[in-house]
Amino acid sequence: MISANFLKFGFNRAISKFKLSLYLWLIMFIISLIIIVPVSYEVRANLGHLAWTEKPLLPFELNLIEIFLANQNLLASYSVFIIIMLLFSALLSVFLSGGLFGQMLSPEARVSFRDFLVDGCRHFWQFLLSLIIFIPFLLIFFLVFRLLSAPLKLWSARAVTEWPVILASWLTVLLLALLWTAFRLVLDLVRIFVVGESKRAMAAYLSTLRFLHRHFFRLWSLYLLIGLAVILISAGWLLLVKLLSPTSPAGLLIIIILSQAYILFRLLARQVLIGVEASYFSARKGS
Amino acid sequence: MKKRNKSKMLAACLFISILLFPGIIPGLAQERPVIYKLAVELLPETASLQAKETIVWTNLSHDYVPDIHLHLYWNAFKNELSTLAKEASREKLFKRFKAEKGEWGWIKITSLTTSDGQDLLPAADFISPDEPPNPDDQTVLRVVLPQPVAPGQSLTLNIDFQAKVPKNGLRTGYFQDGFFISQWFPKPGVYEEGRGWNCHEYHLNSEFYADFADFKVKITVPKDFVVGACGQEVEKTEDLAAGRATYTYAQENIHDFAWTASPRFIKIERWFKGEEEVTPEEYQQIAGLLGLTVQDIKLPDVRMILLIEKQHKNQVERHFRALRAAIKYYGLWYGPYPYQTITMVDPPFRTGSGGMEYPTLFTAGTSVILEKNVLSPEGVIIHEFGHNYWYGLVASNEFEEAWLDEGINTYSTSKVSAVAYGAGQLPLKINGLPLGWLIKTPAVYDWQLARTISVPVTKLDPIITPSWKFYNSGSYSLNVYYRAATSLYTLERLLGEKIWARIMRTYHQRYRFRHPRTEDFIQVVNEVSGQDLNWFFQEFFYQAKDFDYAISSVETKLKPHEYRGEFDDLPVKTQNQAKASAGRKPVLEKEKIYQAVITLRRYGEAKPGSGFALKLKIEFEDGSTEWREWDGQSRWHRFYFEKPVKIKRAWLDPEGLWLVDTNLSNNSYSRHGPGIRILSVTANLLWLVQNVLVTCFSWL
Repeated sequence: MISANFLKFGFNRAISKFKLSLYLWLIMFIISLIIIVPVSYEVRANLGHLAWTEKPLLPFELNLIEIFLANQNLLASYSVFIIIMLLFSALLSVFLSGGLFGQMLSPEARVSFRDFLVDGCRHFWQFLLSLIIFIPFLLIFFLVFRLLSAPLKLWSARAVTEWPVILASWLTVLLLALLWTAFRLVLDLVRIFVVGESKRAMAAYLSTLRFLHRHFFRLWSLYLLIGLAVILISAGWLLLVKLLSPTSPAGLLIIIILSQAYILFRLLARQVLIGVEASYFSARKGS
Repeated sequence: MKKRNKSKMLAACLFISILLFPGIIPGLAQERPVIYKLAVELLPETASLQAKETIVWTNLSHDYVPDIHLHLYWNAFKNELSTLAKEASREKLFKRFKAEKGEWGWIKITSLTTSDGQDLLPAADFISPDEPPNPDDQTVLRVVLPQPVAPGQSLTLNIDFQAKVPKNGLRTGYFQDGFFISQWFPKPGVYEEGRGWNCHEYHLNSEFYADFADFKVKITVPKDFVVGACGQEVEKTEDLAAGRATYTYAQENIHDFAWTASPRFIKIERWFKGEEEVTPEEYQQIAGLLGLTVQDIKLPDVRMILLIEKQHKNQVERHFRALRAAIKYYGLWYGPYPYQTITMVDPPFRTGSGGMEYPTLFTAGTSVILEKNVLSPEGVIIHEFGHNYWYGLVASNEFEEAWLDEGINTYSTSKVSAVAYGAGQLPLKINGLPLGWLIKTPAVYDWQLARTISVPVTKLDPIITPSWKFYNSGSYSLNVYYRAATSLYTLERLLGEKIWARIMRTYHQRYRFRHPRTEDFIQVVNEVSGQDLNWFFQEFFYQAKDFDYAISSVETKLKPHEYRGEFDDLPVKTQNQAKASAGRKPVLEKEKIYQAVITLRRYGEAKPGSGFALKLKIEFEDGSTEWREWDGQSRWHRFYFEKPVKIKRAWLDPEGLWLVDTNLSNNSYSRHGPGIRILSVTANLLWLVQNVLVTCFSWL
């Protein structure tokens, strides 16, 4: 099977199970709303009665900074709230990943919210365990990153002009992204083993490493291809939104719709990636 | 006797200066207390200087001066015990100055003699004039003289010194073969009659103060180096055998001298032509504003020299455009630029010397990737050139009253920037990549940003605080640059453009080539405006007070057609009050009447002075408007309205005069709020959080 077929298969599977992105979007939408309620409340309380004129004294963004400065005393308690919400979101993400992988790898064409939740519950512990086992991999990741980025650092430190510094920093980011995708691939495959082969986390890691020993570069190139597509589409999306004005109701409405479409796009991209990985795994697991 | 001595000495000084400075600029010849003659050689391989210096210091006071205090600024980078290092350490900024072995900066006087050969080194010791004392600091050297210098008498010091350029200096330094050399030579403090030497240590949060002087400096460098320096290049000789070149620079009536050398500079020269840069209409308009004739404000030609790193050569036009705008508007508003040259330096990469001013020379600083609508490097070019006016010409004491140069100049920069460029987009970069290509950042004027970012330090320190006594670097910079500029903008709006323009012109002209203090500025403000504005400076400069007025609430209710309760037949007191009757009190009007109460609050401690009330503008739903005034002295005040229509909007200080108000967001009221803007903020915030969650989900 050539790469294009894996991509096609993954894409088709993601589209056929698009409802999963909708579930995820809805859940994240609700959590995001909860997170922003205190800030939104403060903005409304402070600026809800602001009289706007054709020529305002300050751009609205500076009004926002001003009320942020005036309400810094709230920052500490809000930070605690954010940390709690992020920890909760982290655990929820593990649960949602369980649901997503379970449903994406399911031979059933139809998906339901109930089945999605059931899969989330079913795979939660193994997924959490796989995440904990991933920590040593993270340490290796940072070690490799530091090792590989050291020459760039040295090149940058000796530069007498700015370009080498900028190029080195871009290359460092690129290196970070490449390494991260490579390591991230491990975790995805472990989860495919957990769901598809009903393996326990540790066994799934061993199987994954064996599998990647033979198939790492092809699978990684697929991952990078999808990642590149996401980056390009994201840049295009930002450019499109830049052209729209949020100060007219119609413009704002379009921006809101596009923003939510972008979130859905990102979730769908995740689905496509899992679909591609799963199809590659299915095709090559016996080889 | 005194007089005769003084005349003799002045004649001698004049004679020496004619010998040293053949091209004296007309109009600049006046008493100057110092004459410098320096010869310095840069040794790039060891990043060090070998120099000889002759200082002729004339006592222009009526005091007998027993000693002389010299700044040896580079000793601030000598070790971890200098005052600067200790202050940096306290602020967790020391990493910035930490150096490896052989990279610390220092200056060492190897010989110090009088003109008759008397060795003064044994009579020299380091002192620590500022609080808290630091016996380990070596940035101020006191030299006890064999006999006091009498009024009018001159003292000649011949000095040999060596100096190591600091690798991680502040405003000076080197990186490989790029050098920026400033504060590098022994320099006397300013002798103030009756008060002695004003010669402070080099602090983390302070700049400089020195006397006007005439300089002649010979700089020897490897011959492939391009050199830029204060003043005019008057001679260049090459020693081909040694592979070195010597440049001679001269300038009279400046109070500091800096120079730079790097093989990666491109040197470009252009002319600022007063006749071409300013239209006759502009001359007319500014002359009218200032109450002067066009001839009074005519601008002379200035030779503009740009030393730009090769990597930035595509930005030459941006640099010159900004410099031309600065020469033009500073010149028109405050007075013509009096020197023949201005040197603009794009400083050598990683020398830590960007964005700094010296007389007739300044450093800007740019990046290889620029955005069209972000005013960088323009902002810094205008600002640093502007220091030639506020610091260079009006040479206030940057140690003790930094706002007089930084605050006034930040205000001036903002004015020039606004008139020459308009609002600039906020910069947003990640890893050198401007995000403005993808994201629309707001366009703001400098004054808008200045007033907003200075809010956090309003109650921390008064603007008028000695630089090293601010709470921290943040308080120093936000207070002396931005809060001071915001206060000046407020004063301008309160007094009106014309009066303010004349105040600034008068202050500049009166104190050109002098060392004014805050009281001098206040005196000019009061004199030209014809008002006593001492209260303004007391509230906003001498004290750390918050100025925050607000529309606290707007309550509207329908006036009842009748009032319940027991009423006596009391005389009617107000026009709208219906006659009382027992049991019920009918209101005559059949139409709807709304009773509205606007409550204003004073949350801050600062208050307007007498005669400077706050205005309140009320707009009703039928489009009618009413104005009220409040002197702002009490903590709160209520205004009552009865109208057949509701209040639609209200503004406290609708003309935006009081920019010092730390919260302008509570200065207005609208029943409908700012429209969809709040929804837009909520939507953006939601999208941002959603993205974080999706990323978190994708990774976990």
